[in-house]
Amino acid sequence: MTISRKYVTPGELIVEGDYKPINNIIRVDDKFYATKIGLAEIGRGGIRVIPLSGPYIPRVDDPVIGKIVDYSAFSWEVDINSCFFAYLPAQNVFGRDFSPDRESLSKKFSIGDLIYAKVIAYNRTRDPLLSISGPNLGRIPKGEILKINSAKIPRLIGKKGSMIKTIESATNCKLIIGQNGIILITGPHDGILLANRAIKMVESEAHLASLTNKVQNFLSESKEV
Amino acid sequence: MVELIDEKGLRMDGRRVDETRPIKIEVGVLKNADGSSYIEFGKNKIIVAVYGPKEVHPKHLALPDRSILRCRYHMAPFSTDTRKHPQPSRREIEISKVISEALEPALILEEYPRTVINVYLEVLQADGGSRCAGITASAVALADAGISMRDMVVACAVGKISGKVVLDLDDTEDKEGEADMPVAIMPNLNQTTLLQLDGILTPEEFEKAFEMAVNACRHIYEVQRKALIDKYFGEDEVGEE
Amino acid sequence: MSAVKKAVVVERLRKAQIVEFLSKGKRLDGRGLLDFRPIKIETGIIEKANGSARVQIGNTQVIAGVKIEIGEPFPDTPEMGLLVVNVEVLPLSSAYAEPGPPDEEAIELARVVDRGIRESKMVDLSKLVLISGKKVHALFVDVDILDTDGNLFDAASYATVASIATSTMPKSSVGQDGQIKQEDESIPLQINCIPISITLAKIDSEFIVDPTSEEEAVMDARITFTFDDDGKIRAGQKGQPGTLDFNQVKLAVEIAKAKAKEIREIIKKSIKDAKG
Repeated sequence: MTISRKYVTPGELIVEGDYKPINNIIRVDDKFYATKIGLAEIGRGGIRVIPLSGPYIPRVDDPVIGKIVDYSAFSWEVDINSCFFAYLPAQNVFGRDFSPDRESLSKKFSIGDLIYAKVIAYNRTRDPLLSISGPNLGRIPKGEILKINSAKIPRLIGKKGSMIKTIESATNCKLIIGQNGIILITGPHDGILLANRAIKMVESEAHLASLTNKVQNFLSESKEV
Repeated sequence: MVELIDEKGLRMDGRRVDETRPIKIEVGVLKNADGSSYIEFGKNKIIVAVYGPKEVHPKHLALPDRSILRCRYHMAPFSTDTRKHPQPSRREIEISKVISEALEPALILEEYPRTVINVYLEVLQADGGSRCAGITASAVALADAGISMRDMVVACAVGKISGKVVLDLDDTEDKEGEADMPVAIMPNLNQTTLLQLDGILTPEEFEKAFEMAVNACRHIYEVQRKALIDKYFGEDEVGEE
Repeated sequence: MSAVKKAVVVERLRKAQIVEFLSKGKRLDGRGLLDFRPIKIETGIIEKANGSARVQIGNTQVIAGVKIEIGEPFPDTPEMGLLVVNVEVLPLSSAYAEPGPPDEEAIELARVVDRGIRESKMVDLSKLVLISGKKVHALFVDVDILDTDGNLFDAASYATVASIATSTMPKSSVGQDGQIKQEDESIPLQINCIPISITLAKIDSEFIVDPTSEEEAVMDARITFTFDDDGKIRAGQKGQPGTLDFNQVKLAVEIAKAKAKEIREIIKKSIKDAKG
């Protein structure tokens, strides 16, 4: 199956005919227009535009990296780099029998703490709700934080995580990726610097189809030096 | 009376009647903004930042089913011949409103319920047609911010000087001329999103002027598009996998 | 907590890193404690202004424009022209700057910049009088903050200095009828010195120059000094709730003085290049 691709800007006519619009497309009669700047793909399954910029819109089950910015007696408020602040309920952290009389939220997480969490509820009418129950979720104790446009996270992950694996094995680092565009790198100092540059490369060249090869070459060249 | 068109049919700055001033657009000129652009349109110099979509404050102003678009057109005190007071004037407030209404039809605001999208325009130098240049630049900044759009929006003024219909009036032509008509369109969907007129035009002149404005907008749209393509794709070719 | 405050919360990890690096004499972006980010100055960018300058220090970006108009002197200074320095922190400059009248931080910023220029007597206001007690030249310097990444005090000050130093004005004279005549010929605005502002941030017990937004968000105190050509101090301002012990105050002056000498060469060069 061939997929034809082209670079598009908002309002640009991608194709005419009988297709299924997948995302970032509007249809007027039999004409299909892009709604974002990005890479348009016309395949048998339909037409979509892979966007290269845009805000992070939370989806249920998304892993995200967030920053505690405030707390009340019952929940923390978390900046997840989105339109809305997310909530982490105290019950999720202390258990069902949580009582604000017994436990103080500030003892668990303080303002400025980073957490790795999962979005467990969000829709058009309610703010995102987070949970930290699950393996690897919770407070992030150390590491280097990096922010890229969340639209480019799928490229950073790559097909079946290929891009992450490439970067991790070349730098001896571990990457934790939030769908919201926040990335945590842990590992040796030199590795962090190299991973940082590789991620920046993914961000600036996310439109290239041959991105994985390019990053691989960059990493192997940098290692030889 | 100033001579606005000479015997060769050329205007004071040497343009033909159907010619725009030189246009330059840059994308992503500010680091903090979610999207940004800079336009030079003749002597107009305007910088635009887009922030959002983000939470609405105060919260009760939020709409349950869509985002709110807010535009702020502001002139730097040094942008005009005599210094302008920094506080927004009635003129700036009206222009903010018409710019917002010119851009709104192009935005798919339903994708971002309960939020606000802020578009801030700062006119660093004004030279006639600043609202049109501002609209053109704002659409680019919104595309840079990745806000879902039905189409781009592109604007150009048209008017009448020395009895002739001319494109893109500068400051002097605007002040001395007989009519000025800013027009904004969505170039692919063929919709008008802004039309203002002050002055006198016959219905025939109006029709001619409108057509001239639309053609100019199509040309300016190509400049918008090229600015975005250069920023996002550079010189690279599309690859096949 | 307000939305504004939430936006400036710095990750605790990040703060710990900043402090750890500082104790080793380094900064997160690779700079030494007393290094500026690259400074870029362009002048003459707004044709309609009498003088203008865009200054970028790293990602901080500001633009200043000078308008020279004819006005009336203040009643208590009939023999002086007017100088007004105004700074607007535009809503385009960051996610947490709001439209509306300037808040107290923006006003402090404008006044500290103004004071440095005014007290250094960069412009001799007594030479701007046209008709004693009635008509004088009024110098308006407006600074627009376009993009914020720390050290607005120095960026706004350099833009102000560069725009004033490259200003020209129409040659004016007073006719026998008492009317002011302005000729087509432009003459440069005379300046007496080049004031240089240096701002230090104190984080833990270390001083750094040219702080980024992130560094400012974790700093304990801030101190700004403005020096004239002879290295004399012409203005100063300590900001933020933290304190400086007496030796630190002396140290701050020493550091700032040495740094001002270095930055003066950069500003002087940009002015010289502009004048050709």
